[in-house]
Amino acid sequence: MQEFNYHRPVTITELKEQISIPGARILAGGTDIVPRMRQGKFSAPILVDTSGVKAMRFIEDQGSEIVLGALTTHQEAADSPLLQNINPALVTAAESIGCQQTRCRGTLGGNIANASPAADTLPPLLIFDATLLLQSLKGERRIPLEEFLLGPGQTDLLDGEFIHSISFKPMIGSWGAAFIKVGKRSGMAISVANTAVAVELNDKGKISDIRIALGSVAPKVICCRKIEQTLLGKEPGPALMKEIHKACQEEISPITDIRSTAEYREHAAEVIIHRALESAVEQAKERGR
Amino acid sequence: MITVSFLLNGKKASVTSLPNRTLLDVLRENLGLTGAKDACGGEGECGACTVIMNGNPVNSCMIFIGQIEGTQITTIEGLMEKGEFHRLQKAFVEAGAVQCGFCTPGAILMAKALLDNNPHPTDHEIREGLSGNLCRCTGYNKMIDAIHLAEQGGLDD
Amino acid sequence: MTDRFLTVGKSLHRKDAWDKTSGKALYTADIPVENLRVGMIVRSPHHYARILDIDKKRSLEIPGVLAVLTSDDIPGDKVFGPLIPDQPSLARDVVRHLGEPVVLIIAETKRAAQEAANQIQVSYEPLGAVFDPVQAAQEDAPQLHQDGNVITALNIKDGDIEKGFQDADHILEDTYTLPRIHPGYMEPETSLAVWGEDQTITVWVSSQHPFTDQGFIAAALDLPVENVRVKSGVIGGAFGGKEDSSLSIMAALGAWAIKGAVRLVNTRRESFVAHPKRHPAQIHYKLGAMSDGTFTALKAEVHMDTGAYASYGPAVAAILTETLAGAYRIPNVQVENFVVYTNSPLSGAMRGFGSPQSHFAVESMVDSMAEEIGIDPVQIRRANILKVGEKMFTGVTLNETANALPICLDKAQEIMDRFRAVEVSPGKKAGVGMALAAQSMGLGANVPDDSTHRLEWAPDGKVLIHLGAPDLGQGLAMAVEQITAEALGLPYSQVESLPLDTLDRPNGNVTCASRMTYMAGNALIDASEKLIQDLLAHAAEILEVPAKMLVYKEGQIIKEDGTKLPVVEFLGRLAEKSITLTSESTFSFPYPEETTPQDLPIGMPHVLYCFGAQVARVEVDPDLGTVEVTHFAAIHDVGKVISQSGVEGQIEGGVATGLGYALYETMLRKDDQWVDSFTEYLLPTSKDLPTHYESIILEIPEASGPYGAKGIGEIPLVPTAPAVANAVKNAVGVRVKKLPITPERVLGFID
Repeated sequence: MQEFNYHRPVTITELKEQISIPGARILAGGTDIVPRMRQGKFSAPILVDTSGVKAMRFIEDQGSEIVLGALTTHQEAADSPLLQNINPALVTAAESIGCQQTRCRGTLGGNIANASPAADTLPPLLIFDATLLLQSLKGERRIPLEEFLLGPGQTDLLDGEFIHSISFKPMIGSWGAAFIKVGKRSGMAISVANTAVAVELNDKGKISDIRIALGSVAPKVICCRKIEQTLLGKEPGPALMKEIHKACQEEISPITDIRSTAEYREHAAEVIIHRALESAVEQAKERGR
Repeated sequence: MITVSFLLNGKKASVTSLPNRTLLDVLRENLGLTGAKDACGGEGECGACTVIMNGNPVNSCMIFIGQIEGTQITTIEGLMEKGEFHRLQKAFVEAGAVQCGFCTPGAILMAKALLDNNPHPTDHEIREGLSGNLCRCTGYNKMIDAIHLAEQGGLDD
Repeated sequence: MTDRFLTVGKSLHRKDAWDKTSGKALYTADIPVENLRVGMIVRSPHHYARILDIDKKRSLEIPGVLAVLTSDDIPGDKVFGPLIPDQPSLARDVVRHLGEPVVLIIAETKRAAQEAANQIQVSYEPLGAVFDPVQAAQEDAPQLHQDGNVITALNIKDGDIEKGFQDADHILEDTYTLPRIHPGYMEPETSLAVWGEDQTITVWVSSQHPFTDQGFIAAALDLPVENVRVKSGVIGGAFGGKEDSSLSIMAALGAWAIKGAVRLVNTRRESFVAHPKRHPAQIHYKLGAMSDGTFTALKAEVHMDTGAYASYGPAVAAILTETLAGAYRIPNVQVENFVVYTNSPLSGAMRGFGSPQSHFAVESMVDSMAEEIGIDPVQIRRANILKVGEKMFTGVTLNETANALPICLDKAQEIMDRFRAVEVSPGKKAGVGMALAAQSMGLGANVPDDSTHRLEWAPDGKVLIHLGAPDLGQGLAMAVEQITAEALGLPYSQVESLPLDTLDRPNGNVTCASRMTYMAGNALIDASEKLIQDLLAHAAEILEVPAKMLVYKEGQIIKEDGTKLPVVEFLGRLAEKSITLTSESTFSFPYPEETTPQDLPIGMPHVLYCFGAQVARVEVDPDLGTVEVTHFAAIHDVGKVISQSGVEGQIEGGVATGLGYALYETMLRKDDQWVDSFTEYLLPTSKDLPTHYESIILEIPEASGPYGAKGIGEIPLVPTAPAVANAVKNAVGVRVKKLPITPERVLGFID
């Protein structure tokens, strides 16, 4: 294991100072970084351990926005009654990650910063147009999550910056949000394809708003604008499968790797988008009553 | 070098180590507590290194030693009290859930964390809870039996 | 029949379980050692390459480095191998697989060892590698060893194959492909070696064959065997994968070089690439049958990939070949089986040893034939299963335990009907499938197979078993303790197995091949009888009566007048005279001359079989292709249950491993690297196994077994994969002929 200098801030101020040291990188839950360091795939001369910064572990309803501290663990997200109400797709996703032991350590911020194309928490955040608050010694900035993710393992995070929190607006009216993933195994499953779909129905039961995010089918988790366009204004039902199929072909570029093939991923993506849509529509109808 | 202070199996403990060592390294090499095992090469894929940290089951192979500052850690060695086996340990033996035993300490601690949080879990909840603890010997059935045996209080505590 | 057994048949507590649940059990990586040095192995980054030069100079200069060893530094035998001595302990001239050990570094610290590893200069000339055994068997393939790539070419015939197919009304042909899989023990390979005084060495191993390790270590270090002491640590699973001495030889080499203590622990990555796996195989299978379902002919051609070195390849080929006809009567058979070197990681022993591969072929084909003809799959099996006294195509006659076969089918039928009636989950397609299995016991004819064990009656009354073969974690110790307790009429708590140590334990041979409970059990029943006779003789002397006037029963000597004297009294008296009561017995696996065919290659045939059947209910998602095994039943004849919980545990664990083979596990090669971690190599977790599970244990006594017992170690994972494949076919009409049965295969995205 490569050597590093270690810092452990307790306040956000300390964190800002320590992360601004050249070469410093954030260590949160460690579930991605520690194994990758052991394999030589990640290195940093300085690690700033944020696990003691309690001020960044929270889930808050701030009225117009829901704000999640970056250090919220996946288990905390999975157990949150607030999130179950506001973004059930995120709860399903958080519950599906790894196992109990890794969920108790892995954080929302860490998952975002790691930017895996297969990350499960990213689609449910994207469909809610989540934005990140990035802080540094120099100040802070907000950036939509969609713009923050640049490629596999690549983000817009600058040296000296860290993710403070993630926020998104709750949906209103007749809405629903669902998450589905396909893995090669039920336990500790890494996604072969994963999707989150949010839908809003108008009073005629047609789709008045739709958000679809898809993981594991492109270099990063993507928002499927083409598929959304195709489905907008339509009546939900089995007939939409054809539309999804056509639009998917144009929108996504899955690869063949050790886990699966491009063709299967493409096929599975279509199936789960449709199923997540149906599930979200069910929720929307419930809320509409 | 860094020094961390924490509670280990109920007692105050302190360890000085290079910061790039994990909790698993320190337990096994500094503290002589070899109950936690490395079965997957420190990737968090097997649960054989599971310990309980502040009430949560965690993979000690993925925690750098600095991160345990101020926490409460329970290892398998800390489960016995005054020479008496914990009811989960008795249940695992009684139910025939121990074969080679390499995954056993991690599985028992995971089971403890599960029962502490959810005293009467369903089979489904147990399978969910154990899904991060790999076992090649038992097929998990008897571990599930053992956990039910323990939660039903059939054995003295 | 009333239960006349005191101990045998019960579910008792394993004595080693308490230490295992409390973290006190010492696996080889846990044993505390003073002045322990660090060992690190530098491994080949190439699949196949010539070694041009190894320059140790810079690494030797690093402070804290104590030794940098290559093949040249090995004082004795530089190669070893359980069947063919073709495996270098450290590579010499050529590396034949990725991860092959080339240099062994011993240092004072991990850091120094790592630095030295970074500074080693090995120049390689990469050569064109071959990974497919069919390709590697061709003349124009790179020749990986001196005598070519095909190490075994079996051609076993029975009857008249041409006529057999002429007699057939239906002929089906298919190719079945079996992947490379990892035995998956949780404890990686580990060995601790400590140099002693006067040219002696003690080596702790996690191994199925400590006495074999002793021999190889002595040969490598050019020491007399008596100077090498091998001790067994607590073993964290083996499943065949720990019948390889490479790590113990290297640890011993390191300790010898520095005259100190060295422990080698493989990382999980090293375990993947450098320790034996299950043989991948391609089985081309052609079956002929009449319209009433009677099988007439079987022709098979098999290519087995034994990887870079032979390991147990030829022996696995033997069992794969012998079990290709399953438990069926097929009068005309021809099997060709080629064991071929490739540049893949070694294939060697793994639980099942050829039988999981052969059964995937035969049990899939039998179902296919049933469908072709239009007969129920249980019915076609009923029509063809061998009866007591009938012969397998190898000429082996099945004894009365073949009566298990129709019972297995009856039970399977009943279970299939029950599983078929289960309500199908919405959106899913359900299917039920079964498979039958015959698994051999023993090492095969003309292979020496003796197992020696010893008993000692300690003065405090405890009977100590000097067990000559290791308990791998499966509960061998508990089983033999129950057998010995039964034989001596003593409580289980009064019998204890001692850890294995070549210094003072007898040689019990390798724990493998579903036979150690059978062999050790038989030896210990005999040793118990000897012990009792010895005790009576001594007691008679002490009491000054003729021995025939005394009777032994359940820990007591009974005099003619009915007086009962506890055995401890006599043991105490003997101890005063420094007499220890011991007995020893050797059991040899029986190959009766009259019934064992002698016309087959060495190691064939196997003459004693275990039988079983398994039934799987699956639900398949027709759009995603995912397969969930919802219900599973395992029906196994064990002759006689020695330990109830032990037998159940073996079956349940074996089924889980079989389901891994069926659905999840494969060690692929992508981007020139092998899958080498549990992130990509998927073992079944608790969420991946059936929630409804049943074991049905039959007891059809095996006359030659201890209290009628047979083996159970391997068969539980033999019929599993074909049972699942047959269920998937039943559910969605897709016949998957390549394992694992992944969603991509079910939907036809890959073959």
